[in-house]
Amino acid sequence: MAKFILNGKPVVADVDADTPLLWVIRDELDMTGTKFGCGIGTCGACTVHVGGRATRSCITPVSAVEGANITTIEGLSANGDHPLQKAWQKHQVPQCGYCQSGQIMQAAALLKDIPEPSDAEIDAVMGGNLCRCMTYVRIREAIHEAADALKQGAKDDQAV
Amino acid sequence: MRKRIIYSICGVVVAGLVLFGIYAWHPEIAPVTPPAKDQFPAATVAHGKVLAAAGYCSTCHTAPGGQEYAGNYQMNTDFGTIYSSNITPDPETGIGNWSEAAFIRAMRTGVSRDGHHLLPAFPFEHFNKMTDDDIKAIYAYIMSSVPAVKQQKQANGIPFPLNIRFLQAGWKMLFADTSAFEKQSDKSDEWNRGAYLAEGIAHCGACHTPRNALGGEKYSHMYEGAAIDGWIAPSLTASSKSPLPWRQQDFYEYLRTGNSLFHGSAAGPMAPVVHHGLAALSDDDIKALSVYFGDLAGNNNEDPATSPKLQAAIAAQHPMPDARINQGARLYATACASCHFSGSKLRKGRPLLALGSATHLNDPTNLVNVMLDGVRSDQGIPGVVMPAFRDALSDDEIAAIAEYLRHSAGEQPWPNLQQKVGEIRHQPRFEH
Amino acid sequence: MIRLSNKREAAGMTRRGFLVAMTAVGVSFGFPRSVLAAMDPATADGKVLPDEGALYEPSLWYSIDQAGKVKVNIIRAEMGQHVGTSIARILADELEVPWENVEIVHVDSAKKWGLMVTGGSWSVSQSWPVYRQAGAAGRTALIEAAAKKWGVSANACEAHAGKVISGNREISYGELVAMGLTRQFTENELKALPLKPNDDLQLVGKAVTSLDIANKTNGKAIFGIDAKVDGMVYAAPLLPPTRYGAKVTQMDDSAAKSVKGYQQTLVLDDPSGTVPGWVMVIADSFTAAQKAAAKVKVSWQAGAAAKVSEADIINHGRELLKDSSKGAILDTGDTNTDAVFAKAGDTIEHEYLTATVLHAQMEPLNALVFRNQDGIWEIHSGCQWQSLTTPVLAKALGVSEDEITIRAYLLGGGFGRRLNGDYTVPAALASKALGGKPVKMLMMRPQDLAFDSPRSASVQQLKMAFDENKGVVAMEHHATAGWPTEVMIPVFMPKGINGQPYDPFSIAGADHWYSVGAQKVRAVSNDLANDSFRPGWLRSVSPGWTGWAVESFMDEAAHHAGKDPLEFRLQLLTAEGRNAGAGPIAAGGASRQAAVLKKAAAMIGWGSPQPEGTGLGIASTFGQERDMPTWVAVAAQVHVDKATGLVDVQKLYVAVDAGIIVDPNGAEAQCQGAALWGLSMALYEGTELVNGKFKDGNFDTYTPLRIGQTPEVKIEFMPSKMAPSGLGEPAVTPVAPAIANAIYNAVGVRLRKIPMTPDDVKNALKA
Repeated sequence: MAKFILNGKPVVADVDADTPLLWVIRDELDMTGTKFGCGIGTCGACTVHVGGRATRSCITPVSAVEGANITTIEGLSANGDHPLQKAWQKHQVPQCGYCQSGQIMQAAALLKDIPEPSDAEIDAVMGGNLCRCMTYVRIREAIHEAADALKQGAKDDQAV
Repeated sequence: MRKRIIYSICGVVVAGLVLFGIYAWHPEIAPVTPPAKDQFPAATVAHGKVLAAAGYCSTCHTAPGGQEYAGNYQMNTDFGTIYSSNITPDPETGIGNWSEAAFIRAMRTGVSRDGHHLLPAFPFEHFNKMTDDDIKAIYAYIMSSVPAVKQQKQANGIPFPLNIRFLQAGWKMLFADTSAFEKQSDKSDEWNRGAYLAEGIAHCGACHTPRNALGGEKYSHMYEGAAIDGWIAPSLTASSKSPLPWRQQDFYEYLRTGNSLFHGSAAGPMAPVVHHGLAALSDDDIKALSVYFGDLAGNNNEDPATSPKLQAAIAAQHPMPDARINQGARLYATACASCHFSGSKLRKGRPLLALGSATHLNDPTNLVNVMLDGVRSDQGIPGVVMPAFRDALSDDEIAAIAEYLRHSAGEQPWPNLQQKVGEIRHQPRFEH
Repeated sequence: MIRLSNKREAAGMTRRGFLVAMTAVGVSFGFPRSVLAAMDPATADGKVLPDEGALYEPSLWYSIDQAGKVKVNIIRAEMGQHVGTSIARILADELEVPWENVEIVHVDSAKKWGLMVTGGSWSVSQSWPVYRQAGAAGRTALIEAAAKKWGVSANACEAHAGKVISGNREISYGELVAMGLTRQFTENELKALPLKPNDDLQLVGKAVTSLDIANKTNGKAIFGIDAKVDGMVYAAPLLPPTRYGAKVTQMDDSAAKSVKGYQQTLVLDDPSGTVPGWVMVIADSFTAAQKAAAKVKVSWQAGAAAKVSEADIINHGRELLKDSSKGAILDTGDTNTDAVFAKAGDTIEHEYLTATVLHAQMEPLNALVFRNQDGIWEIHSGCQWQSLTTPVLAKALGVSEDEITIRAYLLGGGFGRRLNGDYTVPAALASKALGGKPVKMLMMRPQDLAFDSPRSASVQQLKMAFDENKGVVAMEHHATAGWPTEVMIPVFMPKGINGQPYDPFSIAGADHWYSVGAQKVRAVSNDLANDSFRPGWLRSVSPGWTGWAVESFMDEAAHHAGKDPLEFRLQLLTAEGRNAGAGPIAAGGASRQAAVLKKAAAMIGWGSPQPEGTGLGIASTFGQERDMPTWVAVAAQVHVDKATGLVDVQKLYVAVDAGIIVDPNGAEAQCQGAALWGLSMALYEGTELVNGKFKDGNFDTYTPLRIGQTPEVKIEFMPSKMAPSGLGEPAVTPVAPAIANAIYNAVGVRLRKIPMTPDDVKNALKA
């Protein structure tokens, strides 16, 4: 019996301990925003946050996340309005969209650690997220845009 | 003449055997009716609970998924497979009918209540450093608070002649430090407290001190690092391979939180030491341990943040060798860098692997173990995980990543790495 | 070749039928609206929103409800092009409805929709006339109804923003629909309807919100892999050693029985011949199916491909090209090159190779199949070519095509992989074996790649003859590769002037728009490739590799002639004769190609001096086919490290003429992605067949471009009033040769094989 917190809610799933987290989220808990791409942690489509850090759920056994806090794309923001999601929409980043949950989750983790990333830093952290439509040019633009928005938001908060 | 010599030798041998027999033989201590649970003072029980945790008793005395302290945890040693004992207060299969004296004798000398020698996987030579009061407190805790579980101990898989328990006495005679803990007057109280905890209940040397061919701790090389449970317990002394020196505050951060910014995370067998063991100790005790180990490591005080080695490790992240001509760099960039790239400065939770001891040890075991099996949420930084690449990447690929990391950390390549990865992949996995 | 005849029959279509369907889409107006189910990419679960009140359907392609909401039916698959947004806005513009009132509906397969295929970059180009006519029909009917109500002449009314207005009176479309509109149009009436002047278009060419995008940022987008129905079981396939000719000789599932949730293992019997030798392991959950599959032991008798590898395909191709009687000769005007070459004192000849390329779309192949309560087989899966897949499924299941519907889902990448619907067959057969129970099959990435329908390896030999002034007087282009169209739908193959059929998607691009005198283009099917794996259509199809040869060769020819490569090309793009171009899309011909070339050259500063080891390269193509050219030129700036052989592409500047740009933002996105595909195939991708399977099984060794390898990309569109052509693929095609040409200018070596690896560069430098 696996137990963890998914998007703020405690969940329980009757699965084998070695079941990859991805399939517990998708098949048992019906959150299909997180995608399967390679199964070996080299494409990033399955990226979720575990304890706030971007994690490839396809190679993370559910036993490893016992009790942990897990966030999927569905839980990144209340109304799909995380600054990254807004930037993604504004720049019309997604093409087929399949990899974009993973891209956004990875980018959210990036901005938490490196709030004003350079292109080189974006490339280094986002290098594990494959986009076969090759939306990379816009991914970079949107990350910069979201970084600016977050910075502005932080300033506004200070002003208040 | 010749005969006489033979007789003399025989005489000496016989005398030796007799003396050894006297040394080795221990009487049974009579069983007692299990003591009433409420006979122990609450403060003693509470103290014992902390010590039992700080000694990770349950780590080795609990089988994966089994009931706490009921034993049968499997240990794969160089000498065969050992199963731990049931130390719950069950009178039949546990230690319920052990008197306090029997418990103290076992803790100090590694002799069971019935007089047979316990295997030295049980670090009695460390527990012997403890005060009687502390040992009694643990007894009080177990007898009063640990639920009794009826569970027979599984037979050990130790081959003849090592399975002759009597011979353990010889092992003890030869290798065990039976001296009591002595305060060093030229050191602070805090240091002495740290030493007492480290040498005694926390038995740090049991893993971190190298052992001789027969498994005895080499006291002349205390804390210089050793192989244990399919991992390498790194050196805690100045001989550490870590590029940045371990300072007192690094030990504190690591032992308190499971992770040190300038070094790395507690994984493998060290994870329960921090999270299930030392977590029970007070901040003062963790500080005391840090003072002690900070001293052993050479009392370094230079700020690692300004170390050229740190700057070099940060700089080595860029530019990477091109993915088209370096398989390790390519795989690292796609499978590792998303978490391990730390940008222009170190960031907690983005471990820069060029700084971790795993990359710098002479043996790739720790690095490969973590790559194969990841880090669980109850290991390292709590609530954070590293995925497991065991079923994802081949030996060749794991080796290529390790090789790249090794190179980026400025170290010589590990020899026969790919083969070694295969061996590590197939070694028995310890459940912690 | 029983396989081929089976497929010919199964396809149930003729090339003529195909062409009629392509050009006449939309004539079948007036059908009742009976969408079984469909998908709206803008709603949370993909469910189509309910209509409000009365409904008016001026045509098959849309409806208007009482609230004035317009639902636009889209028969194209959404796989990243925002195709619904593009098509719906064409209609909405002509119909005069505000964008907020527009919903898009990706419809399930049904005969009434005609040919359902999403490929060839055709969607917008082909929908343009159809949806404009349809919009005009609705607008006309609404105006007529308002005029009648007010008792005024229709000429006194105009439509604007979802309302009909006359003087100071106005009435909304919804109110008019509530009155009960039934007006339908004959084909002749439709053709006679006046369209808005292009200059008056309000939505076309402007920025609007793509309706599929928001859900692709919040996890709500529903792809085939997300399909789920009650009671479904999971299937893990076990693949035979070869694509064709394999047979199961033994299957032992005894070890799998210990897996919790394991049900049974099915050895498929496939009357359609699509998946010979496949075995399906059935279980309660995905992970149980995977665990059990690892324990099922299967022995196969392999097909002949077990002894075939990449080099065999290439060598066989060379043998085929040697025999001039093989293959089809395309109609390129004066094809009598032999005489010219015989006389010419000055000729050049070069061979160009391309490696096998995998689709590696991000969403691994999957399908959920079951028979519903009405006895209809429902196929839940992303699909690019429903009209090709349905007859194959009918044959496999032994039912009529009417008993099959392919339901619409988003595609996690198409790129041509999902034109070939082979992956729906094993799920259908497994469901049939289980009495129509829902079976969900998901292929693991290594399986997806092992039996990909890849872009076949190719061999091309090009020749050019010059006169004494180094003027071009003749050119030949001989090309061979595995032919997807021959393998999957041979009735689509036109015939060459020598009566031989050919795969148009395996030669297009060789019939370029340069005026080179006598010109011979010969296409030869590589039968060893066709028999060893299943060649597929891959983004940009043949122009992705014929363009590589033509544009590398043009550069070589320019250098041979001692001319600047840009000037050399411009001199051949005279736009005369057959290269003048005709029709609403292609008119202007080669002069438009010359224009994009000049544009790209200007963007990058062609001719400006470059530092040591750095070079500029230029190349240009016409996108896909001659009847729907999209003119593209790419200028690349590269730096070559001589010591490592690494080519660093620093800039890709792209100039495009695709006629009217319907969706500027989407068009730019398509061109960015396509240019980077071109780069990926030029330097980073490429696999090889090894004993019947592809060498690379996952993204650890198959290495499409990643973000850190992405150069500066600039896209510029030529202003145009011509009808739109396609944009999904064209920008792929000139990239590889532009890079090769830039490498030549940087370090003086010519590479004639893609991918161009660092070793290739080093070896060339050593030679």
